[in-house]
Amino acid sequence: MLETRNLNKSFGAVHVTRDVSLKLERGERRVILGPNGAGKTTLFNQLVGELTPDSGTVNLAGEDVTALPVAKRARQGLSRSYQKNTLFDGLTVEENLGLAAAIHTGNATTLWSDSLGKAEVREIVKDVANQVDLMPFLHAKVSQISYGVRRQLEVGVALATRPLVLLMDEPTSGVGPEMAKGFHDLLNNLPRDLTLLIIEHDMDLAFDVADTITVLNYGEVVFDGLPDAARGSDLLKEIYLGSWEDA
Amino acid sequence: MFHHTPFRYAALVLLASGALFQAFTAQYFGLEILTEILILAMLVLALDMVAGFGGMVSLCHGALMGVGAYGYAVLSTTAGLTPPVAMAAAVGITAGISWVIGAICSRSHGIYFIMATLAFGQMAYSYVFEAPIFGGDDGLGGIERLDLSIIGVDLNDTRTFALFCLVTLAAMYGLAVMILRSGLGRSFSGVMHNEQRMRALGLTVWRIKADVFGLSGMIAGVAGVLAAQHIMYISPGLMAWTVSGEALVVVILGGLGTLVGPLVGAAVFVVLKHELSSLTTYWHLIVGVILIGVVMSRANGIFGFIENSFAARSKTTEINPKAMEVTKDA
Repeated sequence: MLETRNLNKSFGAVHVTRDVSLKLERGERRVILGPNGAGKTTLFNQLVGELTPDSGTVNLAGEDVTALPVAKRARQGLSRSYQKNTLFDGLTVEENLGLAAAIHTGNATTLWSDSLGKAEVREIVKDVANQVDLMPFLHAKVSQISYGVRRQLEVGVALATRPLVLLMDEPTSGVGPEMAKGFHDLLNNLPRDLTLLIIEHDMDLAFDVADTITVLNYGEVVFDGLPDAARGSDLLKEIYLGSWEDA
Repeated sequence: MFHHTPFRYAALVLLASGALFQAFTAQYFGLEILTEILILAMLVLALDMVAGFGGMVSLCHGALMGVGAYGYAVLSTTAGLTPPVAMAAAVGITAGISWVIGAICSRSHGIYFIMATLAFGQMAYSYVFEAPIFGGDDGLGGIERLDLSIIGVDLNDTRTFALFCLVTLAAMYGLAVMILRSGLGRSFSGVMHNEQRMRALGLTVWRIKADVFGLSGMIAGVAGVLAAQHIMYISPGLMAWTVSGEALVVVILGGLGTLVGPLVGAAVFVVLKHELSSLTTYWHLIVGVILIGVVMSRANGIFGFIENSFAARSKTTEINPKAMEVTKDA
């Protein structure tokens, strides 16, 4: 469903991603681990087109999308949520979801009707609000909901485009342990045919959700395999998991 | 995102009633002032659409109005087109030019967008100032008003022309509301709130900006056509950047992003201008002090201030209790 081949990106002398090759099958849930500065977010930015790789290719559903701009990739089914909330702050939760759903349903440019009132848009808004547990907050403005609920909305907005592949950059970043547990259910309840690529530092969540684990270190893939193998990997313990094992 | 509240409907009814009363009771000078207000209101309505709902603070809307005015003047006098055809063509040309400006400037933001639109406006002004076809700095005269005698309406009558401008403003207001409530308008608001996210969700952002800027320019073009018919003479001064600056002042004075506010701003500005200029030649200073007061008060213009005061007095905002509960916990 999503495949990268030898992605490279440098900022000056700093090589941020080195020959990164990944292959995600339809419905696969892969978690990317790695210490700060490992190049995880830079990899995401190249996947969605916010950064252009120096070399290498990105394929989505069998098509080379490396040269496509962000919006076109999104329309082809690649959606993302951000580590830092990137929402429409002055709007309500319903409007946030509605804007995304309107783009997906082709109502975002119509001049003759209100996109947010369209039946197909309202249906997606309702579905997604149920999926990410936002129903009680639909009419609240983003500024009126808690940080944790905003994180749910961050994922919800990305989901409202009905993507084939959803990239989530630290969905539980900054939320308390109680809310992080809620994210386990949220992610596990997502449709099984949705391909997920998740950057996550919460190890419990990572091993709970992941079908496969990829570990990046200094921009390089140093591990790619099943969660059980990741748990037993000495290399992994050394570069990343030591603190988790000790904890 | 655009929403009409009962208060705004009430304000619109009040404004329309005031304008109608003035149109039916005022004498020549009062009618001229009313017409000036209505044409300025149309221009600032167009500007508020893009500045207030899309963050595209344009300093070329005065020039766009000028394109509409000159387009109508040249097409109806030099090219000999009938006024309705010249009017439609002038508005269409203005919309097209606006779309191109919007498309080109869509990638710039903030001060850079303001400067880019200013540059386009000044280019248009300089060209018209020099080009013989547009009469150079002498301007163009002999412009005819629309002939509606077929339906028994004589636009050469000052009162009738004021009423015609009022009806046209109402139609343009309706058009602006329709645009802002449409899928295009909602997306436009989304772009103002978070352009990066709208792009990441799959929206071709530059196209949305260009489309709404084009439609806004179309309304400015209609204002220009009416301005040309009102005075029956136009000069390059209509396209000077100060006209755009004045329009921006009026939008801020009335209430940016409210659509109703700029109409209030237009009325206040024109009345102040006429009343104060009869007292002192330094009337700009007084208007400047009032504008500084409005900006420093942090209210969203005169209309925003009245609306907020009314809302604070009449009700508390309805908030989902569960949302509040979670906010408290955070």
